[in-house]
Amino acid sequence: MALIEIRDLVKKFDRQVVLDGINLDVVEGEVKVVMGTSGCGKSTLLRCINRLVEPSSGTIHFRGQDITGHGVDVRALRQSIGFVFQQFALYRHLTVLDNVTLALRKLRGMSRAEAEEKALHELARLDMADHRDKYPAQTSGGQKQRAALARALAMDPAVVVLDEPTSALDPVMSREVAQLIDRLHRENVTMLCVTHDLLLAGSIADRVTFLDKGVIRAEDTIAHLSKHHPDEQVRAFFGCEENAR
Amino acid sequence: MSGWNAFLRDLFEQMPLILTGLGETLKLTVTISISGLLLGVVVFYFSQSHWAWVRHLIRAYISFFIGMPLIVLLFLMYYGLPQWGVSMSPFMVAVIGFTFNVAAYNAAYLTTAYNGLDHGEIEAARAQGFKPLQIFRFVTLPQVLRLSVPALTNQIICNLKDSSVAFLIQYTEFFARVQELAATNFQFFRAYLFAALVYLALVSLIVLAARFIEKRVVIPGVYR
Repeated sequence: MALIEIRDLVKKFDRQVVLDGINLDVVEGEVKVVMGTSGCGKSTLLRCINRLVEPSSGTIHFRGQDITGHGVDVRALRQSIGFVFQQFALYRHLTVLDNVTLALRKLRGMSRAEAEEKALHELARLDMADHRDKYPAQTSGGQKQRAALARALAMDPAVVVLDEPTSALDPVMSREVAQLIDRLHRENVTMLCVTHDLLLAGSIADRVTFLDKGVIRAEDTIAHLSKHHPDEQVRAFFGCEENAR
Repeated sequence: MSGWNAFLRDLFEQMPLILTGLGETLKLTVTISISGLLLGVVVFYFSQSHWAWVRHLIRAYISFFIGMPLIVLLFLMYYGLPQWGVSMSPFMVAVIGFTFNVAAYNAAYLTTAYNGLDHGEIEAARAQGFKPLQIFRFVTLPQVLRLSVPALTNQIICNLKDSSVAFLIQYTEFFARVQELAATNFQFFRAYLFAALVYLALVSLIVLAARFIEKRVVIPGVYR
């Protein structure tokens, strides 16, 4: 059974249909990559999974439980899903260390010492221990990204969700993020990543899911999608990758 | 010079009363600055409510108390309420009246700072599983308070200066004592000049404290 099973998911904002019958599985231990152009509904899809956005219809099963209905402990659900935002969204009034410990102390009830030990372990895992006392504004984009990942991983989530992890980074840092995601994958961290960065997608997953105007149009390897997919639009999107290479 | 000598003699004679008045001024200023900040934080919290009617109510509160002259509010409470059987001491009326007024201003300052926040952080806190009150306490409030320090300390200066209005509801604070001094020797210019210098000195102390606080609370790497 998949960790996350999304069936017939629809999200409308007033009359605008943003997600139109999405079916998607995320299996434990895999890196699932969802690609698509800006505004295709990728970020909304992620926000439906942790109920930051309420789906209009359809179901999302997380560890076998439907989490779209009433009576779901939404905050407990959110604590099981580590979310890394496009602009990192680190708390700018807290140091890197405090960014990681805040939820451990206030949500998990850990003492400061316990929380710091756990946080330092995660920061060291991402080579961020030396930057523990810096404030977000004093760190680079790549460091912010790793701090945000450490904040997510510290809660031992069942899945880490990454929203456009390289959109705010330069190519060098983007490659570092790809290597980092690869490393976490080898450590058996389940990840769901939405991106329009073909280089990133190609380096962290064998197969990608293509979302277009709220509909999943294809799922295959980038090489196959760029050359053999019957839809010209899909070939054009993934063809950019081939041209870039 | 004899005028100054006479004035200074009267000043020193009445100094114990003037100092008592100064104590009352400081007591009122400190009290309304604290209560006004606390109520301002509460008003600001409810101004972010997800219930529209609460937001409308809070907006009405802020508009009402910013729009109404403080002296009218104080007179309404001190001279008007006894007609309905509600009597309070001048200090109590001053504290309540000022608190409602100052809280409205403070809430408006905090709201302005809130509008400049990165709302992605609030979404991140929701995504982490924090409750709304926890988000307010650990993410929103620490940041808006820091960003509002110049406005909030400016409000404390206003509180000190405006506290002189309280003498009109029989609260014998510093300015009331200076009035008495002026009435005894009719040296109005010297008496009010003295009052102005004392207020200026106190305001200068608040400004120095405000600058110290501003430097302490600045978030490293974030430029304002």
